[in-house]
Amino acid sequence: MATKTDAPSGRAPARPGRRGWTHRRREYLAGYLFVAPQLAGTALFVIVPLALVFWYSFHEWNVLTGSFQFTGAENYERLADDPALPGVLAATAAFSIGLVVLNLSLALALAVLLNQKLRGTVLFRTLFFSPVAVTLVAWTIVWRFLLQDDGGVNGLLSAIGVDGPNWLRGETTAMIAVIVVQVLKNVGLNMVLFLAALQGVPKELYEASTIDGAGSWTRFRRITVPMISPTILLTSIITVVGSLQVFAQIDVLTSGGPGTSTTVLVYYLYQNAFQFHDFGYGATLSVLLFAIVLVLTVVQWQMRRKWVVHEN
Amino acid sequence: MRTEHSRRAKTGLYGLLCLLAIPFVFPTWWMVTSSMKPPGEIFAFPPTLFPADPGLDAYRRVFEFAPFASQYFNSMYIAAAVTVGTLAVSSLAGYAFARIRFPGQNLLFLVVLAGLLIPSEVTIVPLFQLFNGWGMIDTHWPLILVPIFGAPSVLATLIMRQFFIALPIEVEEAGRMDGLGRFALYWRIALPLSRPALGAVGIFSFLYSWNLYLEPVVFLSTPEKFTLPQALTQFVDAYGGPMWDVQLSAATMSALPVLVVFVIAQRQFVEGLAHTGLKG
Amino acid sequence: MRNARTLLAAAAAAPLILAACGGEDDDGPVTLRMTIWSAAEEHLALFDAIAEDYLADHPEVEAIEFDPLPFDGYTSTLTTQIAGDNAPDMAWILENAAPDFVSTGALVPIGDTLEDTEGYEYDDLVPAATELWRHEDRLYAYPFSTSPFAVFANTDLLAEAGQPTPAELIADGQWTWDRVVEAGAAVRAATGSHGMVIRDFDYTGWDNLSTLWTGWGAEAWTDGGAGCGFDDPAMVEAMTFMHDAVFDAEAMPGPGTSADFFSGEAAMTVTQISRAGLLADAGFAWDLVPLPDGPDGQYSVIGQAGLGVLTVAPHPEEAADFLAFMTNPENSAKLAQYFPPPRASQLTAEDLAAANPLLTPEQLQATVIDRIDQGVTKPSHIGQAQIDQTVRAALDPLWTENADVAGALADVCAAVDPLLSE
Repeated sequence: MATKTDAPSGRAPARPGRRGWTHRRREYLAGYLFVAPQLAGTALFVIVPLALVFWYSFHEWNVLTGSFQFTGAENYERLADDPALPGVLAATAAFSIGLVVLNLSLALALAVLLNQKLRGTVLFRTLFFSPVAVTLVAWTIVWRFLLQDDGGVNGLLSAIGVDGPNWLRGETTAMIAVIVVQVLKNVGLNMVLFLAALQGVPKELYEASTIDGAGSWTRFRRITVPMISPTILLTSIITVVGSLQVFAQIDVLTSGGPGTSTTVLVYYLYQNAFQFHDFGYGATLSVLLFAIVLVLTVVQWQMRRKWVVHEN
Repeated sequence: MRTEHSRRAKTGLYGLLCLLAIPFVFPTWWMVTSSMKPPGEIFAFPPTLFPADPGLDAYRRVFEFAPFASQYFNSMYIAAAVTVGTLAVSSLAGYAFARIRFPGQNLLFLVVLAGLLIPSEVTIVPLFQLFNGWGMIDTHWPLILVPIFGAPSVLATLIMRQFFIALPIEVEEAGRMDGLGRFALYWRIALPLSRPALGAVGIFSFLYSWNLYLEPVVFLSTPEKFTLPQALTQFVDAYGGPMWDVQLSAATMSALPVLVVFVIAQRQFVEGLAHTGLKG
Repeated sequence: MRNARTLLAAAAAAPLILAACGGEDDDGPVTLRMTIWSAAEEHLALFDAIAEDYLADHPEVEAIEFDPLPFDGYTSTLTTQIAGDNAPDMAWILENAAPDFVSTGALVPIGDTLEDTEGYEYDDLVPAATELWRHEDRLYAYPFSTSPFAVFANTDLLAEAGQPTPAELIADGQWTWDRVVEAGAAVRAATGSHGMVIRDFDYTGWDNLSTLWTGWGAEAWTDGGAGCGFDDPAMVEAMTFMHDAVFDAEAMPGPGTSADFFSGEAAMTVTQISRAGLLADAGFAWDLVPLPDGPDGQYSVIGQAGLGVLTVAPHPEEAADFLAFMTNPENSAKLAQYFPPPRASQLTAEDLAAANPLLTPEQLQATVIDRIDQGVTKPSHIGQAQIDQTVRAALDPLWTENADVAGALADVCAAVDPLLSE
């Protein structure tokens, strides 16, 4: 520690009295100034728009003619009676659940596979991660070509004697396709996070359990999973929220079809707001989306007490 | 846990990894090779792995058909601006929340966290109206300002805060003894030490902005102002027929640079991610 | 926070301000902007030339810009521009968007301006052509392109499959949809190329199927738009025919398969004559004939495009004046090489052929002039965007191997009925 020869006034560490108070005030000022940009941005681009979304949802708003009328809860009644909505919610649920399950399990599996003492794991890690760095729309466009009835995927399948379906034209197969394309794009991210977490698990735990005669599956279940549960929780929250925001892939691959089988909530929102130009109803759907995100995140966060072994 | 394996298990493992890698790598491969095929060959069934007669003509036509060069530039400079801006805003805020004591900080932090719960898709309609009121529709301002200050940067702030919390306080003590003010402590000591976290935040921000699709589609209507993701979907000829080879060339051009950068810097990439503190 | 409240008020007031703000007049020469959906160089060159002529005589306008928007989602992009306070002065309007624009006050009535323009010859406009663009007796947009649908045929491919040419079939009185499907299936079997492609349908643009179903006497909307015509027997028959043509006879390409006639991938295609420009470099012999007969006999379907001035245009008066100039008899004749005009005096085979060098007067007489009067326009309805999407989604189940055509069509009406009455 340096000796205090001459401490310039006002800069000395906090001392009681007037000097200390100025220092503390400077600290407060610094604190507020530092967070000001982020806070102002949040207020302006997050909080205010959220309030506006609620406000707009109580109006009937035709963009083409410029009419904007207060209609109370009419949009919400329309929401409750909307015949398309159950299908949209079902598609959203199917997509999100399918994506999260596939993504997390694949990421974990890949991380475990790569966590071996093998030459070339770095190469494979790069290969599995590469789609993350490919431009999203480019990736999706390529898959649209590959998923055609006479495209690459069916070509590969026919090479092993399987007659592939017209992926993007069947309701179930289109949903599967969209999920798989999205998972392949992003699973590398989660894989890397799981890999880092796996490498943080102390070897002694494994050694101890091997001595006790535990098989590898038991080791996995009893040691690995609990030890990396904080990571699993955090990535699952992020993946779930992210799954509710997927838009580009659906727009490029299926445009919400065939029929409305891949019209998830955010896509339905976009259709109503920017294709049918019904901003009022679009805002109502935004409120619904927000509510779903909120509930899911809170539920998952609460579950941490139950699922996560220890917290920082 | 790293385990030793028998030779047979090793071969099996390699085989499995190779098989798994196919859907990750084949699309990129196909994109690059098909961009050099004439449109007729792209849909040859069964598909060809290598172009029969590789040609770069489609690449030239990309620039004839669309203002691709300006669209490319748009994506690049917007992503750069967003990255720099996010690094600045999130490191400042993250540092303050981690290191500085000021009244109401917990409440303010919760307010900022709200951004995580409110994805921009939820607020896209009022954001449109907001920028409309400021005369910024069909400009790049929404694409720059919202990612830096809005919901997407909250994750960045979280990461920076996490990192600064974990940073030992002693490193700053020396600076404090020397009489450095708060900003200097941040700028000269904390920030340089936070390189791994900055790297991760920078990567996330760049990729996020580079891949933005809904926002450009909503806010931009002049082709010269489009960004790459938006431009890629516009490759249909004047009468509505698809121009696959041209589209794939454009896709390749948009994907390859970032991919190459990644491959070269991939160790930093991956390690930066691992250090985000998202481990829990 | 007081700032938040002010902001809230401002943002909430924005739509009201939008509506209130009409065009503000600048002092000094203005620039006019017209949104279009064609990026074809020849078209742009022609428009620029017409604009040059106008600018020479009108110093109050200093420039006229033609702004091509992507055809895919054109109406949506245009509407977003309008919503974003970035409205153009003039815009091309698709015929399926006509009800939404014409009857809601989004366009300025231009009938008076046109009539008052010297030498305009307003009475030359064919009433049938302007019907879609009139509301309560006022004209809101000029139908600058009234183009019947016709069939282009690749006679080389047909010969390869041992099929007679359409000209021969017409001479024999055998030019019907049944015969077309037969020929298409033969081409598919013999050459692997596709038979008949209804261009721009691609399993999404269902309004283009009206070029087929009108031959059965079917229509999408009945009772002036109040009723759904999809579950009528005539429509069920027509769609069953189409379904079988795709999946049983394989005369038309299936979903997810694309075939471009103009690249030689198909033997026949249904499209408008303006596409003839794409055949300049064709490597095959081709012919242009009218639509085949359906069970209901001979019929015609026309596609239209309107040109209008927006109510929220920055400079509506100057725009209307330019519109009158661009569509006067002289310029109309120039535009006729790509866009058949709604002017009776210019709808002669010689005029059109002079403008359209690739097509013979006989072809034009048969496909355009003889058919323009009795032509039915493609389906359109108020609230087009949502109806279009609803019908498209509801029709999707039809395009599978073992579809229940009648059931799917009934579902279409069930989905669309609530929207028709709004």
